[in-house]
Amino acid sequence: MQFKFSKYAAALIASGIISLPITASANDSAELEELRGLVQELSQQVKVLARKGEINEETADAAKKTTPIVKASSSGFSLSSPDGKNEIKFRGLIQADYRAYSSGANDVRNRSNQRAGDLDANGFHNAADTALLRRVRPTIEGKVGGKYGFRFTPEFAGGSASAVDAYVDANFSPAFKVRAGKQKSIVGLERLQGGGDIKFLERSYVTNAILPNRDLGVTVSGDLLSNKLNYGVGIVNGVNDGGNISTGNEYNGEREYTARLFTTPFNDSTSALAGLGFGIGGTYTKFTGERNLNFTDTSAADATRNGLPSYVTDGQQTFFRYAGGAVADGKRFRITPQANYYFGPLGVIAEYARVSQDVSLTTGGSLAAGGGGTNTAFVAGSNKKLKHDAWQVAASYLITGEDASFKGVKPKNNFDLDKGGWGAWELVARYSEINLDNDTFKNPAGTTFTGAYADLSTSAKSAKSWIAGVNWYLNENAKVALNYTHTSFDGGAGIGITAVNAAGTNVTDRESENALLARFQVAF
Amino acid sequence: MKKSLLAIALLSAIYGVAAPATALAKEVNLLNVSYDPTRELYQDFNKAFAAFWKTKTGDDVVVKTSHGGSGKQARAIIDGLDADIATLALAYDVDQLQEKGKLIPKDWQKHLAHNSSPYTSTIVFLVRKGNPKNIKDWGDLVKQNVSVITPNPKTSGGARWNYLAAWAYAQKQNGNDEAKTKEFISKLFKNVPVLDTGARGSTTTFVERGIGDVLLAWENEAFLAQKELGVGKFEIVVPSLSILAEPPVTVVDKFAKKHGTEAVAKAYLEYLYTEEGQEIAAKNYYRPTLASVAKKYEAQFPKVNFVKIDEDFGGWQAAQKKHFSDGGTFDQIYQK
Repeated sequence: MQFKFSKYAAALIASGIISLPITASANDSAELEELRGLVQELSQQVKVLARKGEINEETADAAKKTTPIVKASSSGFSLSSPDGKNEIKFRGLIQADYRAYSSGANDVRNRSNQRAGDLDANGFHNAADTALLRRVRPTIEGKVGGKYGFRFTPEFAGGSASAVDAYVDANFSPAFKVRAGKQKSIVGLERLQGGGDIKFLERSYVTNAILPNRDLGVTVSGDLLSNKLNYGVGIVNGVNDGGNISTGNEYNGEREYTARLFTTPFNDSTSALAGLGFGIGGTYTKFTGERNLNFTDTSAADATRNGLPSYVTDGQQTFFRYAGGAVADGKRFRITPQANYYFGPLGVIAEYARVSQDVSLTTGGSLAAGGGGTNTAFVAGSNKKLKHDAWQVAASYLITGEDASFKGVKPKNNFDLDKGGWGAWELVARYSEINLDNDTFKNPAGTTFTGAYADLSTSAKSAKSWIAGVNWYLNENAKVALNYTHTSFDGGAGIGITAVNAAGTNVTDRESENALLARFQVAF
Repeated sequence: MKKSLLAIALLSAIYGVAAPATALAKEVNLLNVSYDPTRELYQDFNKAFAAFWKTKTGDDVVVKTSHGGSGKQARAIIDGLDADIATLALAYDVDQLQEKGKLIPKDWQKHLAHNSSPYTSTIVFLVRKGNPKNIKDWGDLVKQNVSVITPNPKTSGGARWNYLAAWAYAQKQNGNDEAKTKEFISKLFKNVPVLDTGARGSTTTFVERGIGDVLLAWENEAFLAQKELGVGKFEIVVPSLSILAEPPVTVVDKFAKKHGTEAVAKAYLEYLYTEEGQEIAAKNYYRPTLASVAKKYEAQFPKVNFVKIDEDFGGWQAAQKKHFSDGGTFDQIYQK
């Protein structure tokens, strides 16, 4: 309105419409004076309107400095202060999966599960086809005062709620960041890749079986040498292989020390090596399991009270469990060399992990949970160092030409039937295996297969898996993934439902697992 | 293990004490958050102080300044603008640093001479050459055809001085009849076509944009406009009554302590009271408080019949509450 008025008045003055009568009536001085006054008045009004416009702009500019910035984008939803020092973000990850098995068992042999019915003649239940929610994770993260941040990610998948991440950050500089609380373990490369960014439906044996998942404690990390070297060190409660620690108090007072160095030496070059990164990580602790519980009730992903893990296949079926009386009892050391490489649409990740775990055998003890009951008795001379290792090589290739990266994929053209876009398509393949120490399946003296740390006729001593798959990125936020996985085993089965004999001659290989895994995911 | 811890402790002690001391010896940074028309004053003063401090200590001191409406500047400091020094238009705004931010002690005004006001000023009229509307006194500002330029008292310290000076005049004219005084102020603000947020903005409106017949201005700002911004285009009119403006200064103790700049910030303000500092103030048309310099520049500043904030308005707290707080007299008359 102001603009229109000022334009109108300016046009009048400039065009001389007002001045014409002045000339025409030059002899009438009173009229001339009146018109001059009118021009001056209009001129003032135009100037006032223009100045008010300037002041409004200045006020708006000043207001920008104090008005919170609200963002809603494919990266999530956020509210931040104009200087960016204070921010809160809302993000989310939902994965709806379907798993179909053409062959394979749902657990180790002779693992009775009444809900699945009676065991078959070989002592197994078939792996059951199922639809499930794999991850349901809303996230609230933010920062205050520029340097201090937080993240809280609950998990609603899996039938109960838990905290996946709950930590606070202090980012003193890019080279020195401190994080305290429940957080991802810093040692594994594939673990550090976001749950929505991983190339396969499930991570490899290196990550899922050997290396820790989430732990509670303090880590310090940072980027040095122009971001060519990333370091991380931590002191955490310690969690068993593949474990995701609970947020409660720990029964064991020992700490686990973690460290990782990862370098991308050519990241500022334009050569083909620019996308090469490699490093090494490790953990160390002296760790003992809880001593007065029923150790047979172990599971793969959660911290187990005997301090020992069980291991699952790519299809998430358990193929290895320690014997009921085995308990972590001493040092645990993990080491994991790792590398990745990205060049155009090609991505490669390779990792190796080895865990060395002191284990003892026990007898007796109470089945009572919650710390009551009586302690188990240790079998004299049963303490043994067991060494398990795993490795993986995985490759991905974006056939629609997008650049591959450690993070997610942003399609060149989103899937849109009206406009003809088909999103981004990626082919993926992985080979991964895990091999358990032979001594795991023998008695402490190493002479027989009975009285061992694990029963070779029920638990396999190795699993070898390959996966081929395709990822369809409909847009930056939505992905459909399909994996076909084949896993073969060494051991893990026997004749009928009898236990392994002393010589191990009644051990056979567990039936191979073939599974089709599908996922629809939305992440923001 | 113990030996390595001891070594780390020793190294930390060496670097923790010696290294920062060496670093601080080279350059000290200060931020002076000031009100709108002091740009030229502190440009000159900062140079002089840097030279003084270099001679005295060998250190380089770099003073950055921020300018804006006094009330807005106080709010910015309270909201976290890391000022080492605040040099604002009126004591009420500095009081806010204590009341709302706990950034300075309660007795801040006693830390330096003259209630921490190293220089004073007053409010005068700047009119166009020849004074075409024949404006001589406050009473002329409420005439129908007079356009008055003044900033917004809600955001500008200078505007609050303007308002109170006009109020004092109207009260005197109307025998302390508050209703008539309000009516006078109301008429005056009906003649204000543009409300800038700060004094410098109003100067721009009047001098550069050519709006209005009279600018109610800080005396120093009026002199600056007359002698430097538009030579020969303006005249200063001193009204029959005006107000003694005492812009205060203070170290923002909390931030200065955080920056480790307390000593240099204090020295900066003390330097304002020295003969050199007072000369710079006078050359920038602020009335010096040091008698010797005041005498030297006596001819530069016209004699004015002053009212004072403490004596005539019961101090800034009372004046702010009555006139400029939400629902105060300014809101009452400006909404009419």
